[in-house]
Amino acid sequence: MASVSEPATVAEAAEVLRSAGSVSIDRPGGDVVLSTARLNRVLEHEPGDLTAIVEAGIRLSELQAALAPHGQMLALDPPGDPTVGACLAADLSGPRRHRYGAMRDLAIGVTVVLADGTVASSGGKVVKNVAGYDLGKLFSGSRGRLGLIARVALRLHPRPAASATVVVRTDDPRAAWRGLHRSALVPAAADLLPPDRLALLFEGAEAAVARQVAQVQSDHDSAGPVWGLSPDTSVPGDGRGLPPGTSVWGECAARQARGAAVAFEWQECLLARPGPGLAWVEGAPERAWPPLAERVRAAFDPEGVLV
Amino acid sequence: MVSLEPDFRVAVERIAGPEGVVAEPEQLRTYECDALTGHRAVPELVLLPGTADQVRELVAACSRHRVPFVARGAGTGLSGGALPVADGVVISLARLDRVLEVDVDRGVAVVEPGVTNLEITRAVAAEGFFYAPDPSSQQVCTIGGNVAENSGGAHCLKYGFTVNHVLAADVVLPTGELVTVSRSDPGPDLLGVFVGSEGTLGIAVRITVRVMRVPETVRTLLAGFATIDAAGDAVSHVIAAGILPSAIELMDELSLEAVEAAVAPGYPEGARAVLIVELDGPAPQVAEDAAAVERICREAGAFELRAAEDAEERARIWRGRKSAFAAMGRISRSYYVQDGVVPRTRLPEVLRRIGELAGEHGLRTASVFHAGDGNLHPLVLYDEDVPGEAERAQELATAILDACIDAGGSITGEHGVGVDKVCSMPKLFGADDLAVMARLRAAFDPSGIANPGKVLPTPRLCGEAPGPYRVHPLERAGLGERL
Repeated sequence: MASVSEPATVAEAAEVLRSAGSVSIDRPGGDVVLSTARLNRVLEHEPGDLTAIVEAGIRLSELQAALAPHGQMLALDPPGDPTVGACLAADLSGPRRHRYGAMRDLAIGVTVVLADGTVASSGGKVVKNVAGYDLGKLFSGSRGRLGLIARVALRLHPRPAASATVVVRTDDPRAAWRGLHRSALVPAAADLLPPDRLALLFEGAEAAVARQVAQVQSDHDSAGPVWGLSPDTSVPGDGRGLPPGTSVWGECAARQARGAAVAFEWQECLLARPGPGLAWVEGAPERAWPPLAERVRAAFDPEGVLV
Repeated sequence: MVSLEPDFRVAVERIAGPEGVVAEPEQLRTYECDALTGHRAVPELVLLPGTADQVRELVAACSRHRVPFVARGAGTGLSGGALPVADGVVISLARLDRVLEVDVDRGVAVVEPGVTNLEITRAVAAEGFFYAPDPSSQQVCTIGGNVAENSGGAHCLKYGFTVNHVLAADVVLPTGELVTVSRSDPGPDLLGVFVGSEGTLGIAVRITVRVMRVPETVRTLLAGFATIDAAGDAVSHVIAAGILPSAIELMDELSLEAVEAAVAPGYPEGARAVLIVELDGPAPQVAEDAAAVERICREAGAFELRAAEDAEERARIWRGRKSAFAAMGRISRSYYVQDGVVPRTRLPEVLRRIGELAGEHGLRTASVFHAGDGNLHPLVLYDEDVPGEAERAQELATAILDACIDAGGSITGEHGVGVDKVCSMPKLFGADDLAVMARLRAAFDPSGIANPGKVLPTPRLCGEAPGPYRVHPLERAGLGERL
């Protein structure tokens, strides 16, 4: 029977890793399940620098709540309410990846614990830094197999003054995307909901948001009213099986959560995010790591402690 | 010096052809340094492959014969990343210079490593697109070098660095294997690790980059201040107000003096510090942000504010900034450039500290830098003919890096560690941090032949002091700049 260990410090986490036979991080599988539930503090937040250092077990909702009073956010909106560590370990992202990138683009420093208990950091808390190898990138997508992500330093963004979602219907998604991509519009998110809807999020100064929404509306047939020339309002979607009042972004999140991400090449999919080139398809098999990644894993965890 | 085995020489000539192997001592000297000219080493051979496949075969030969290799693009790097290894070879990517594919509807360009940064933008400009990272040497520096160094530039404040714009790369590993690393790979982000690894994890032979739509509106503001403190305050307040300019550049009194003498950009008279703030995006957004930036600058004490009305005026404003390093020749015989980074709220304090340190060392510093992301480029001015000055300049440069580290910053924002800052790495990272980085390196390069002596410190390296800076030929020709 597996035991669950909930270290409250990085040193305790290192001790758990050093002494256990096999360990799985925040999921079942190992003799010891290492939970990051108690590694959940905001260690530092410097509003003037738009940076924060957090422990990896903090939930996104908790982090956003701590940042909101300062008018700041982590510009990441994956489905559900994952921990910051999970966001990096699985390189999660949501619709606003179109503008802000994924977790790997927002992590400016990490502290990790390897299977042998070695604690190592890279990066730092400045937004521009090329000193040494970027372990934050290495641990992005590492899914708990290279070590524990214990702390993450984050690049933050200001919360936009205004935001609005506009959903348009299109018979020709390719042409709609091509037109958008070649236009001067700067959406924060642009999701294709097959078969025929394109959802756009605009953020920024109110006048800039209003003008871009107006331009989209004059170019396309609307698929519903425009919602939210102020933050946090939502669009009622027509998503199948979703509760009434679900926003189109809620529908995107539901479709994203149902599928697995693959490279977007205009294939049949639940949801497409053409900007970063991602599509979510149902039943896509999990792909094996390439041999070079396995070589790095063997160097970081030669005994195969992490499962 | 260990001579290369005759077998190796035969092997590389068979692969690259006689025209692809440089062995003449005089020609080899062309490759003895990059733009960090104080460090020099003549390689045994320089190899000039013409295809990706030749790169792979040459690296495989190096691996078989245990010959160290150093990859080189245009040689404009500022940290000695392309400094040759005396008993090894240089592999120049200059002949791999083709743009292979452009597809603006997918927002990508596929290029060989020897393509210059600016050529990518030229290849997509007609369709209204551009490649965002813009190191100052972008006319000559290559995308392969940009990938190796994770290069930045003035506009990476808004657009991010090379690593945010590279989508995939074909990489020849130090073992001679050819692999593709991509943003869409399952597992660890090996592409992200590779970008910025300074030629120690392999050689990129085919690179896919993202290209972006040119913004609708660009507005460039120029603000003159009576003190550098006031200018530093303005920077902090712009960031804290949630405005994201595409660039915020700061020049101090001494650099203003130099550029005024060199190119007369007509900056505000009597200014002891000048800020250049550039905003881009949808017109209403730019208008609102510009008004806010102007207000913040005035509140911080700007006595003159000017907005470029057209492209020509914008070019004049930038000309002063971009000629700053070259202009230093007007006021100093030599200079040494640093690349420290500090949290943006600490800028005024660190700038003051640099002034104090310069005083203590009896030297002058000029500052021209990317203030928006806290990336300082203090230029330590000295005269190498004055006995002891070069050494004091080196000491001052190191003290400045220490001040950046003390303020919670880093030793390099965009120039790389190379050999220049390798001995400062233990001040920034602990022994375990460096040991784990070494583990990663060994997984890519088990024989330790890819750019040895760079990035991670070794006891042998860090016992030796580097030589003084000398003007690089590219710089003298006006093709390259240091920033």
